[in-house]
Amino acid sequence: MADTPPTETDETPDVAETPGGASAREALDRVRFEEEALGHADQLYRIALRLSGSQQTAEELVQEAYLRAFRGWRGYRPGTNLAAWLATILRNVFLDEARKQSRRPAQESIDDTSEYYLYNHLTETAVEPQEAVLNRLSGGAIVDSLSEVPPNFREVVVLVDIGDFSYQDAADILGVPIGTVMSRLHRGRRALKQALANRASKGEPE
Amino acid sequence: MSLDLCRGVESNLQPYLDRQLTPAEVTMIEGHLGECVYCRERYHFEARLRDTVKTVCCGDPVPEGLVDRVRLHCRGSRAD
Repeated sequence: MADTPPTETDETPDVAETPGGASAREALDRVRFEEEALGHADQLYRIALRLSGSQQTAEELVQEAYLRAFRGWRGYRPGTNLAAWLATILRNVFLDEARKQSRRPAQESIDDTSEYYLYNHLTETAVEPQEAVLNRLSGGAIVDSLSEVPPNFREVVVLVDIGDFSYQDAADILGVPIGTVMSRLHRGRRALKQALANRASKGEPE
Repeated sequence: MSLDLCRGVESNLQPYLDRQLTPAEVTMIEGHLGECVYCRERYHFEARLRDTVKTVCCGDPVPEGLVDRVRLHCRGSRAD
């Protein structure tokens, strides 16, 4: 994958002048890595948090992902989407950890084909306007609802809705066709709406 | 309200919110939303829902010092 290593650019730091080619290159790699890649730590952490559901695990995932990213830094092609490259590594770390704990992502089917599942549900059942119900759902209820979405759908929702990746980025990160991203996204969002609808109709405590 | 148009909007609503449609499709959807209350109410709800989920899910503070710890973690390693 490492075709052209980052060589001379306008922003080549002075460190390249250091005697001893190999170590200079290594120092340069490190500078570039720290300058470019570390800026995505917040975004990666939020994705890791929503994938894993735990702050501690999320930080561990991010640390491990960055370590792998640094080791494979020469495989990153400058000018391509760095956030997506890092997110791909993060997801691999997450899957490896999940595999270790033999938690296998379940393929679950979701009924009701309407995009307006939650809206329709609230219209049928609630006595108050749909928007009011939305206001009443606490942050905790939303986070819990997301965590109930089956993992293979959830990761697409997390990448696109929380990580702000495009369909194409998500397809690259997951290594699936864009059509698969769209259908998983569709089902993931619907599952989220169903989980929210369940909480809304239970009248979750404040 | 025309059922065909409403269905078309429903099936394109998520890609529309994701900004994944072509300019022509966007024009079609926005034209319809301008004249159909039924679809417009649903659109507003979906947009609000999307915002709410995103705000909540991005609201967790990133642990203090995370970047520093990541940097230290990586400094013990070499790039290949």
